[in-house]
Amino acid sequence: MKILIVDDEPLIRELVVQIVDDLDMGIEVIEAENGLEALDKIRTETPDLVLLDIMMPKMSGFDLCRILQTEPPHWKMDIVILSAKGQEADKQIAKALGIKKYITKPFKIEEMIELIKGYAVNRELL
Amino acid sequence: MKLSKLFKKTLFGIIILFIIVFITIIVFSGWYLYGNLEDEYKSKGTAIAKSIASSSAETILNLDSATVQAMIDQFLEIEGVSYVFVVDSNMEIISHTFIPQIPPIIKEKTKEKLPEISDINIEGVGRFLNIVAPITEGAIGYVNVGMNKDSITKRMWVVLINQIIVLVSIFFVSVVLAYIMVNKISQPLNKLIVYSEKLLAHDFTAKIDIKSEDEIGLLAKTMKSMAENTYEVFDRYEYALKDAVMELQDTLSYLTTIIDNMADGLIVVDKDGVINHLNPAASQIFGKPEFEMIGKDIFTLGKDIEILARNSLLSDKVISSEIHLPNNRLGLASAKKIEKENFADDSDARGLLGSVILIRDITKEKEIDRLKTEFITTVSHELRTPLTSILGFVEIAKKKFNDVIIPALNMDDSKIVKASGTINRNFGIILSEGERITSLINDILDMSKLESGKVTWNFDYIHIDDVITTAHKAMSSLFEKKSIPCFINIQLGLPTVRADRERLIQVVINLLSNALKFTDKGRIVCNAELAGDDIVVSVKDEGIGIPKEEQETIFEKFRQVGDMITNKPKGTGLGLPISKKIVEAHGGKMWVESEVGKGSTFYFSIPLTTKNTVGSQDEDTNS
Ligand SMILES: Nc1ncnc2c1ncn2[C@@H]1O[C@H](COP(=O)(O)OP(=O)(O)OP(=O)(O)O)[C@@H](O)[C@H]1O
Ligand SMILES: [Mg+2]
Repeated sequence: MKILIVDDEPLIRELVVQIVDDLDMGIEVIEAENGLEALDKIRTETPDLVLLDIMMPKMSGFDLCRILQTEPPHWKMDIVILSAKGQEADKQIAKALGIKKYITKPFKIEEMIELIKGYAVNRELL
Repeated sequence: MKLSKLFKKTLFGIIILFIIVFITIIVFSGWYLYGNLEDEYKSKGTAIAKSIASSSAETILNLDSATVQAMIDQFLEIEGVSYVFVVDSNMEIISHTFIPQIPPIIKEKTKEKLPEISDINIEGVGRFLNIVAPITEGAIGYVNVGMNKDSITKRMWVVLINQIIVLVSIFFVSVVLAYIMVNKISQPLNKLIVYSEKLLAHDFTAKIDIKSEDEIGLLAKTMKSMAENTYEVFDRYEYALKDAVMELQDTLSYLTTIIDNMADGLIVVDKDGVINHLNPAASQIFGKPEFEMIGKDIFTLGKDIEILARNSLLSDKVISSEIHLPNNRLGLASAKKIEKENFADDSDARGLLGSVILIRDITKEKEIDRLKTEFITTVSHELRTPLTSILGFVEIAKKKFNDVIIPALNMDDSKIVKASGTINRNFGIILSEGERITSLINDILDMSKLESGKVTWNFDYIHIDDVITTAHKAMSSLFEKKSIPCFINIQLGLPTVRADRERLIQVVINLLSNALKFTDKGRIVCNAELAGDDIVVSVKDEGIGIPKEEQETIFEKFRQVGDMITNKPKGTGLGLPISKKIVEAHGGKMWVESEVGKGSTFYFSIPLTTKNTVGSQDEDTNS
């Protein structure tokens, strides 16, 4: 399984990398600094799960989602928002963009572990 | 000369009186005089006839007619005697004084014996009293003396005319006297009349000079002092009136000045929504001169303000709403209807006069508000990212420490055991404090959104019991930790309400966590029941309670009971204000009943028919 973490904050990316490493489930983590870079990585690396921040330079998370919506469906890929913006309005936008999971920063490590594990299990079942 | 009425009346009276006196005097004295004179003539005539008779007996015996003639002639000199004639016993006239001859009526009358006194009317000559005296008892003849009756009347009239002259002079004297007297009375009266007419025309400076001591003088004096009194009263009232008018004008101009200098716009509309009055601020806000606004319907100022004005005319309460102003500005308008105090006399629309609308330009405030919210939003987001790192890395560190390091340590060494315990506790402190910061940031963000009205509401029909049980579940571990029991008591069959489920859960959690926080011993009861048109939820604890004077302020931001510095309680003082705002957004109320040492009960109500004071705002706040 391959996870793409998209966040302009390197420490958040590092945190996710540490969590995944700690899980020791052979999950690969790739990183992107902004939406634009993420778009490139999604196209070239086809990750299974994208942990996506919203507020980023160059291209926001929502803009990335909008672009992805215009492309042929990435069947296997799931997007989870991982944002400091926890307002109801943002969640609504995410919902409208077809995103099912929304995690607000700061998040509990357990929460992240549960999430990743959940996806990993689903992957194996597929 | 114009005669006064009074004199005319007096004159009339005098004339009547004199006529009566005239008639009486003339009738009575005429009648009396006539009788007297007749008697006198009779006796006079009788005496003359007798004297002739006695003296003429011989002469007649001699039948000397010439002598008789001479004798009787001299009697004619006597006043009143008109004729004398003598007849013999055969009734033949012997001699007479008639000139030129005996009138036939005498000749005829003497044929028989005439009575002693009789009236004889000689045609063309006059009326006479014929008196007969016998000569020697009629043996020789008779003497006839004729007394002139007309001279009686003449004499009578002479006397009467004298009397009349006297009477007439008395009449004229009395008329003159009456005139003088009446004048003497009416002159001051006339003066009084002129004076009182002047008084009537409010000429209190008029003078009257009547100095007599009689009734009129008294009347004049009384009138004068009356006039003075009236003048004084008038003067006083005039002064008071002037004062009152001045005061009124002062007050009016004071009020007008206040209204005209008000920073807020003021518009008064009548009950049909036509603009009656406005102040310069209002005309500035709408960018139109006053004369272009007055008399126009309120809708010419925009739909928002028209709806507000119309609604206020139908309501007893003050109605406020934000309105759009020209040039993309925003205003806050409050309207209240005005009614006549006593509308009993005027049934027309129950004395409704119209509505007063106050408008404040809040464009700047709104902009500042927006900037503030934006600022808070940005800051809180900026804080969340490092917080995520801190909490995340500490958690990983703690996990690694517990999972990897501790098992590898030599637990026989008490120092290592102690140190690892401290490290573990410190990790815990960092985590819980970090969580506190997180919730503080959340609360501040919530508060600022609630205050600026930029909250996205998810109104839906929900069950209150679901809200309460969800909140209770979220709190249950904390209750267990503090071993304080929490009971839920929800009335059966409560209707659904239109509300934001997540927000109401937030409210109940706030109340439950407060109850738990401020209770050391006892229990907590959460109640929900129907009360009229509201569902009332209460959270009752048996904790420390809240002093009366703090029961209002705890609903304000950052307000906590007690001294903030010495015994700072855990928390930020945002839980209750946030909860209150949420409840109010549902059209409900929040209040507390509490007694220090006994416990507190917090209540909130959610109306069944939501007026949707906020409504679902679709405004997006992502930025
Ligand atoms: N059940 C209660 N019993 C006693 N005092 C209370 C209770 N609930 C609130 N208070 C008082 O009201 C204050 C304000 O409460 P509020 O919930 O707004 O803030 P907080 O609980 O101090 O902080 P926060 O909820 O933001 O974490 C509290 O600090 C406390 O002094
Ligand atoms: Mg609280």
